[in-house]
Amino acid sequence: MSAAGTSDALPAAASLRPDWRSLARQALLKRGAGQSVLLAFLLLVSLPIILPYFWMLVISFTARSGGVSTDVLWTACAIVVPAVLIYSVVHLVAPSPRLRLVGGLFLFVIAGALLAALIGGQLHVANYRFLWRTNIIEEIRSKATAGGQFPSVWIAFRNSLALAVSQTVIILTVASLAGYYISRFAFRGREAFLQGMLVLHAFPAMTLIIPIFLILHWVGLLDTILGVMLVLATIELPFYVFVMKGFFDAVPWDIEMSAMTDGASRRQAFRLVVLPQVRVGLIAVGVFAFIRAWEEYIFVRTMLIENTNWVMSLYLFWVSDDIMGVDYGIVAAVSVFYVLPSLLLYLFCQKYLTQMTIGGIRG
Amino acid sequence: MARIELKDVRKSWIGATAVERIDLTIEDGAFVAVLGPSGCGKTTTLLMLAGIYSPTAGEIAFDGARVNDVEARDRNVGIVFQSYALYPNMSVLDNIMFPLRFKKVERAQAEARAREIAALVRIDALLDRRPAQLSGGQQQRVALARALVKRPHLLLLDEPLSNLDAALRLSMRTEIRRIQRELGVTTILVTHDQIEATTMADRIVVMNGGRIEQEGTAKDLYERPATLFVAGFVGSPPINLFEGDVQAGTLTVRDAQLRLAGTAQGSVVLGIRPESLKVDPAGTPARLIAAEPMGREVLYTAEGPMGLVRFLEPGAEARHREGESVTLTFPPQEALIFDKASGQRLEARIAA
Repeated sequence: MSAAGTSDALPAAASLRPDWRSLARQALLKRGAGQSVLLAFLLLVSLPIILPYFWMLVISFTARSGGVSTDVLWTACAIVVPAVLIYSVVHLVAPSPRLRLVGGLFLFVIAGALLAALIGGQLHVANYRFLWRTNIIEEIRSKATAGGQFPSVWIAFRNSLALAVSQTVIILTVASLAGYYISRFAFRGREAFLQGMLVLHAFPAMTLIIPIFLILHWVGLLDTILGVMLVLATIELPFYVFVMKGFFDAVPWDIEMSAMTDGASRRQAFRLVVLPQVRVGLIAVGVFAFIRAWEEYIFVRTMLIENTNWVMSLYLFWVSDDIMGVDYGIVAAVSVFYVLPSLLLYLFCQKYLTQMTIGGIRG
Repeated sequence: MARIELKDVRKSWIGATAVERIDLTIEDGAFVAVLGPSGCGKTTTLLMLAGIYSPTAGEIAFDGARVNDVEARDRNVGIVFQSYALYPNMSVLDNIMFPLRFKKVERAQAEARAREIAALVRIDALLDRRPAQLSGGQQQRVALARALVKRPHLLLLDEPLSNLDAALRLSMRTEIRRIQRELGVTTILVTHDQIEATTMADRIVVMNGGRIEQEGTAKDLYERPATLFVAGFVGSPPINLFEGDVQAGTLTVRDAQLRLAGTAQGSVVLGIRPESLKVDPAGTPARLIAAEPMGREVLYTAEGPMGLVRFLEPGAEARHREGESVTLTFPPQEALIFDKASGQRLEARIAA
């Protein structure tokens, strides 16, 4: 259609024909403007999230004992932020992916060279010496605290890994079997069961901490990784069962019926045909279960006491408790070490994790 | 290949009955269509034959042996679902070979058989693909190959063509018929489409409300429908139905009166197929309301003494215009008379 009929005179036939070229230019301009606004908005909202992590990383590689200076952080920001901004512009303006890549690489090299020149001299890995030396905390606090309080970080790492892996295994097994059953079988009280699970999930588990502490004490599982493992799995399971039910609901019955007429038993049909359909759900649930256990703090803080039972979050807590204000560098380095596994998992499984909400809604 | 019998089979769930009563025998190698509207129990019957559901009462027998308690996986039944139900995580070849996994067939031999059957349904060029990379018609063929690869006693087709476009449906109809003839496998086709049923099957079973209304050939169903339901369901465009009343051998439908031969009394329904009605100067006058050219013929709607009536006339163009008056007749032996209360067809005829 041509422009709105503001003039009373009937336009001539020729002017009725739209100007395709200017319309296309307008559309392109509009699309570009929309993209820039979106990009600027995303940059802005991600800043408060990225900046602290970036700061933590910078501190862990630059801070020396006694106080912390922000010079390095600001220098680094002064180089990285313009580089990101320039790349955004390049991304918007450059027509071909190849040009974008070349521009990106060019910027990356310049930023890298600038960083090396301006702050390269201040980088060091001494803050990471806790990885290979056990007694650094005692060394820093001198003899003020009793010696031998801190275990090797690798003991805490091993405990955390054991907790997280076992969580993943328990939750994947139980949630997939229970989710399948609830999705496929009609049984008395199914609705009540489902509602009960949702209520359980909404109920803050923290309120149960004293009863749980007492129960663990009575059954002799207090201060053991196994005890925490069972408690965490119990508290987390209702939600994951619900999520898996949603994924199983999305698998058509026909496929299962077909497998059974093809000669498979119900169990074979589940394993060979249904389970591969919910692969994305399994990965998402597994990753979330792992990270949830990895970052757990309140329950392990309450139920694990002996320092050989510490997990990474407790290790970080005691490190910061003992030397905060004395040596920020080590606290930051432990934090980086602690956050690394979660970060890697998120990075590699990102595309599966975004699927979880979809599966969840279907429930 | 097997002879299939259903004896007094029922299926109900708490608060719902899907199949009231089915008595049916299907001869070895026959191609039977089960025709009926949605929710008439035809798919439930199919799933009972496959062994997915077990009947609440009655007996299902293959070659005279009761199979009610035989598990689905042991029945050796091939089934093609409306959704095709291919396994998305497997290649086409693995899909077709899947049933052989459970039959202790050696892999090399299984693959040879899968390739053979793939050639039969003409998908041998697609064996490495995933189901998601196939068109609807190709998926359909894969599903058919998977159902046939285990040499089933019985092939069940659940609305196999309803997800295909019109041209593909036409060619798949011929294809399925060809393959069924070639293999001689006993086949049951479930459909709500009468064209599918009449073109593919030797015999047709019309179901309604969980019961069999009539069983017979396409000709039987069309010319001698047992019930009002069958008369209304079979035939396109649908039959004209007029409610009337019989007193002393005379049928009164609104302003029209017709003499009857044979016994009938009380409320009846008169059925006249649109293709029976002819324009004839000696007929009853009616005013045309609509003319709809359908290609080979024109469908007219007219208002006559019995009410609204539809009739067909051959030819691509409408010869009468809307608002025009025409005179209509029909051969009296082609009119059908049903008892209104029971829906059963009466032997009474319109007297010439």
